[in-house]
Amino acid sequence: MNTDAVNLLFNGGFLAILGAAVAALAGIGSAMGVGIAGQSASGIVAEDPKKFGQALLLQALPGTQGIYGLLIAFIILQKIGLLGGAGLMDLSTIQGASLLAAALPVGLVGIWSGIAQGKTAASAIMLISKRPEEIAKGMVYTAMVETYAVLGLLISFLMINGIKL
Amino acid sequence: MSIARMKKLSVVGHASIRRELMLKLMELGVVDIVSQTDKLAADSQWKDLVKPVSRESDVVRFENWISKVSQVLDAIAKYCDLKAPLIKTRKPVSAARFEEVLRDRSDVEQKILNALAQLGNLSKLHAAQNKVEAVRLSIIPWKELDIPFEIHGTHSTDLIIGAIPALASRQELEAQLAAKAERAMMLSFGQDPEQQYLAVITLKEDGAAVNDVLKSFGFNRFHQGDMEGTAEENIRKCEEQLAQIEEKKNGTIEAIRGFREYQEQFQFFHDDLVLHRNLASIKSRLVATRETFYMEGWLPRAAAVKVEEVLLEKECYFEMRDPEKDETHPVLLANKPLSSPFEAITKLYALPDSRAIDATPFFALSYAIFFGMMLSDAAYGLILTIATFVILKKMKPEGMTEKMIKMFFFCGISTIFWGAMFGGYFGDLVTVVAKTFFQADVAIKPLWFNPMEDPMKLLMFSLLLGGIHLFIGMGLNAYMAIRDGRLLDALCDTGLWYILLIGLVLLLAGVAAPIGQWMSIIGAVGILLTGGRYNKGLGKLVGGLGSLYGITGYLSDVLSYSRLLALGLATGVIASVVNTLGSLAGGGITGLILFIIAFCIGHTYNMSINALGSFVHSCRLQYVEFFGKFYQSGGETFDPFNENTKYIQIIREENK
Repeated sequence: MNTDAVNLLFNGGFLAILGAAVAALAGIGSAMGVGIAGQSASGIVAEDPKKFGQALLLQALPGTQGIYGLLIAFIILQKIGLLGGAGLMDLSTIQGASLLAAALPVGLVGIWSGIAQGKTAASAIMLISKRPEEIAKGMVYTAMVETYAVLGLLISFLMINGIKL
Repeated sequence: MSIARMKKLSVVGHASIRRELMLKLMELGVVDIVSQTDKLAADSQWKDLVKPVSRESDVVRFENWISKVSQVLDAIAKYCDLKAPLIKTRKPVSAARFEEVLRDRSDVEQKILNALAQLGNLSKLHAAQNKVEAVRLSIIPWKELDIPFEIHGTHSTDLIIGAIPALASRQELEAQLAAKAERAMMLSFGQDPEQQYLAVITLKEDGAAVNDVLKSFGFNRFHQGDMEGTAEENIRKCEEQLAQIEEKKNGTIEAIRGFREYQEQFQFFHDDLVLHRNLASIKSRLVATRETFYMEGWLPRAAAVKVEEVLLEKECYFEMRDPEKDETHPVLLANKPLSSPFEAITKLYALPDSRAIDATPFFALSYAIFFGMMLSDAAYGLILTIATFVILKKMKPEGMTEKMIKMFFFCGISTIFWGAMFGGYFGDLVTVVAKTFFQADVAIKPLWFNPMEDPMKLLMFSLLLGGIHLFIGMGLNAYMAIRDGRLLDALCDTGLWYILLIGLVLLLAGVAAPIGQWMSIIGAVGILLTGGRYNKGLGKLVGGLGSLYGITGYLSDVLSYSRLLALGLATGVIASVVNTLGSLAGGGITGLILFIIAFCIGHTYNMSINALGSFVHSCRLQYVEFFGKFYQSGGETFDPFNENTKYIQIIREENK
């Protein structure tokens, strides 16, 4: 077996950075979700340009998963010293792998919840095309999906916070 | 009581005072006049006695004028590039001024008609423009053809011009033409993504054969119609026409812009028409005999005296009574000044049933707390507070908008409080700035603790708040049960759960574990035994199990409040990401410029996305977790007969 590759794979620092990368993947979900919602938004704005603001508000909702991912990635990078002047710390394989594991919830939940939330936001946009006064209800439906992204964020955060370096 | 107490009003009066009375009631704007259609349909004796008043044609006439005026006002706004204000407010205007502006109604009507005529011209010019433009576009491909359009051939030849689809092969067409009619000639005029443009000159005797070949290639003949001259001449002619039309259009638009000076008058006229329309349409809710009329309506108890005065003055016979038990009435929320802004949140969900309770006073405080904890940055809170304060003072919004903005004002104050507790001022701005530009180590100490350092503590606090919030909701459910005399329900559906949940918390937290253990057991057994009390037979047992299983619901409800921690952290961490990004270029002038740019963009973005998130998630906690425990919605909005004008608000001197 190629020892270089093995050394890399079990290098704590690499695993930790991989973790930060996985967390940031939540942006996939947000990008797709915001995209889906944006398509609907353009549709209703074509009918009534005055709804731009309302539609934009709903379109922004699936964007949070990406932010949560960024947040966790940032915390990991800060924790391992990659941000700021100190430079990358020496990490054991276990520490690195733990950080990688801790990044999974926010990264994975973010992807799928972002897409699902995008679809809900799209239908909420359809809702305001017919009943603009009911925007709050559309927002609440959309926020129901986000709950799980929040939970993913929370558990990732608590894990990272608990890992001793 | 936060749902205003209502009184039912029934009035009989002489037909001659009907209009005056309606006018007075409209000015007061406190009576919700009820339609009599149902009563007429249900009560045959009643039906024989009275007939509905209807003057539909009046309403239609006013509606017609309203739509004309709106059309003109829209056009003025459009062509004068008037931006719609962010917050719509009605201009306060004295009754005298209102009368004065509309003194010469026929003059205003004439102006409206003139403006409409200009609008009509404009749309005709639009149509003409489109038509000419279409012709121009169809000729453009033939620009190179120098044979005038009126020439379709010579004595013995035919000129055929037209197009084949872009996908068809021109070479093949040429080959086939050569085979069928060797003396035919084909000229190409280029192509666009859809079509290739061709002209074919053929002997008249070959005409049929050539046509067949062309047809098989999907040839589409160009119809010259009665155009004369070459393509180029025609294009020029079209362009001249277009320029003329454009000029006329500009003239018309200029004329429409000229109506701008009457905009205010038109707005007054619009609102005057609205008032007349309302007066005319409210009649359809009354019933009448030959000499009298009858109306029914609801009014808030607080307004009863004023309405009584009016009715006495007009010498009507009337009755006011409290609603009977189980009688639904329109719902008007009436809360104390501190909690009334939060009515906006209740209304966004749905109004409470008139026999249930208004949730507003019970969640106003927790809404502000939750919002503050989730935004949790004192600087953002300060911005929000100042911005909403300025809007309230400067723009004087009305109705829902006012409530909403006041609500954000309170939420902003709460955000300042929680931001200070957790030490967030634009995230860690002070620390970063001190370090980057002054090489100093400064930090603003949080008043309580920094959630980044001890997130578990904040998580526990969030769940505790959640627990209290849920208990309040359950308590309200019990209150309603007791008020309606269902003591057993209050005990079983709320009391036993209180015992079980408090017991479990004591047991799990390890404080007074034995007491907690017994409380849990009593609660659980109680729920198991009583949960199915309304079911029959085996259902009693299953119902109890089902009720007890509801404990998972309480678990997830409480955990849902963990978002208070998560969203609060999100604001803080993103803010510090922004600050870190800004400090990447180090100190010095470049560093400072980069920092300011990052600061402005980053914090604006962070504040808006997180304020939106805090609003939505606070709503969710109220709607799903809190309202789910007790709230009964379904009330009809109290919609008093009033001056619901669009542009102006008529101020009348109190002359009593």
